[in-house]
Amino acid sequence: MSDNASVRRPGALLQRRRTEAAGWLFVSPAVLLFLIFVAGPFVFAIVLAFLKWDLLTSPEFAGLANFERLFTDPLLPRVLLNTFVFAFASIVTHLVFGLLLALAVNQVVSRVLGYFARVAIFFPFLISWAAVALLWKYVLDPTFGYVSQYAAMIGIDLPNFFTDPAWAMPAIIFIDLWHTLGFTFIIMLAGLQTVPAELIEAARTDGATSGQIFWNVTLPLMSPTMFFATIITFIGAFQIFDPIQIITKGGPQDATTTIIMYLYEKGFQAFDMGYAAAVAILVFVIIMGVTILQFVGRRKWVYES
Amino acid sequence: MSDDVLTRIDAAPRRHGRRRPAVAVLVDVVLVVFGVLMLSPLVWLIVQSFTEPEFAFADPPSWLPIPFTAQNFVDVFEYMPFFQQFGNSLLLAVISTGGSLLFSVLAAYAFARIDFRGSRILLVVMLSALMVPAQLVIIPIFIMMRQLGLIDTLTALWLPALINVFQIFFLSQYFRTIPRELDEAARIDGAGHFWILFRMLIPLSGPAIAALAILGFEASWNGYFGPLIFLSSPENMTLPLGLVTLQNGFGAAPAVVVFAAITMVVVPLLVAFLAFQRQIVESVASTGLKG
Repeated sequence: MSDNASVRRPGALLQRRRTEAAGWLFVSPAVLLFLIFVAGPFVFAIVLAFLKWDLLTSPEFAGLANFERLFTDPLLPRVLLNTFVFAFASIVTHLVFGLLLALAVNQVVSRVLGYFARVAIFFPFLISWAAVALLWKYVLDPTFGYVSQYAAMIGIDLPNFFTDPAWAMPAIIFIDLWHTLGFTFIIMLAGLQTVPAELIEAARTDGATSGQIFWNVTLPLMSPTMFFATIITFIGAFQIFDPIQIITKGGPQDATTTIIMYLYEKGFQAFDMGYAAAVAILVFVIIMGVTILQFVGRRKWVYES
Repeated sequence: MSDDVLTRIDAAPRRHGRRRPAVAVLVDVVLVVFGVLMLSPLVWLIVQSFTEPEFAFADPPSWLPIPFTAQNFVDVFEYMPFFQQFGNSLLLAVISTGGSLLFSVLAAYAFARIDFRGSRILLVVMLSALMVPAQLVIIPIFIMMRQLGLIDTLTALWLPALINVFQIFFLSQYFRTIPRELDEAARIDGAGHFWILFRMLIPLSGPAIAALAILGFEASWNGYFGPLIFLSSPENMTLPLGLVTLQNGFGAAPAVVVFAAITMVVVPLLVAFLAFQRQIVESVASTGLKG
């Protein structure tokens, strides 16, 4: 339509060209950077997955060998299981505690208590994983940490969390909850504010109990927020790396080796670049697949007004 | 999500005058206990870092720094170039955040306000990159930086951080909420694109830009994966990597010194958080971005 108009008026044609030029001029720095640091590396990563390259000798074409390894690697099933266990536990604990705490803080009347609770719950989220992981390594230490010390006082003998294969993963899940709960909490609190107070008042006037109001009014209206929190938590949890690299290095006995930890070992410690790229592509496919599945399943449990 | 979340959080219904049921009081008590438990590792951290080494990590746990000392903090500087690493972190965060915001603002303006051919497809292509995990592209970027001889430099970290697709998307959405009539009016008065963007749209987008700046700064300041694979010498490291190296490198520092170093990172952060609590919480709530 605009093209027809520009044919009729020469001034408009010039104007049109100037608009085109201005548009591309404004996006050009971003597009250039995007090509160099996102699109280019993405294509290069796919090419890399077909190569055998240790960065020291020259790369060799490996065909599908790296992808075949994904299916024959004896460690990979364990690594994927660890990652899914962590992601699942992370979603459940964050959503349940995040929602409960948001509900609790939402009903607080005292300004001081509201401020204290928000700061206490949210602040750990801002601390770097490096500081958090180092701190918790000591907090849960069997001799130096106060958790085991207090437990011993009441007669409970806690395990050495990070050297016990059965306890290392639960410990990481717990530390992650402490660190990122504040994020889920804030998202939930923001979601709760969108639940109209009139609706709750109306239900109360009609004689609904607090439990009924929660299950039939608040929860359905919160489901879009919970859906969003589930997706974000899954994507973040599936890529968990920092605390594992810092505290357990994937041990003991691979009990905490998650997929990104594995990718790091293959790519940046063994310099097995081709296989690391194949693992990275697997991560991409899984995250995309699960996210699509969640959107498909959305209709089943997310309430839309 | 709307941008006045926190205002409404603060203005949560206050039911003064009505007697609160016992359950509500119980919930308050649970919150107090929960809050204390959440903060206890941080209190313990600060207490130990001010305690003389042979009395720290005592059993039963001590919650007061007795006997008190500040020596642990002095010792930090023997084991790590703290200020150098602090400077590196700051430089990295400022360049990454400032640079990416500048390019994002320009691109967002084009996507929101200039009807140029191919803009839709371009935006869709760029947005689809949000699904790509950072670790997928970091492998080729690592190889690229190695070829360029940029390993063990901050440049290897801030250069790829200059492009931030989420910022472009978020800002272009925000710009779209500002009435276009304002542009037209300014244009009639002879204003060009740059004037409209920098003198009008950006000042009108304060909360959005502040939110992105806070989150960008936080992500860069706390980042670990990038520094871990790119940086190797202590004088080039950022604080998170410096802290971790402090306790597992050659000549690892005593635990109290590690604790003092963590305190030196956490306490300024706490002060900054208390000062800008509203803006920080708001930025997380409005963008829903995880650090």
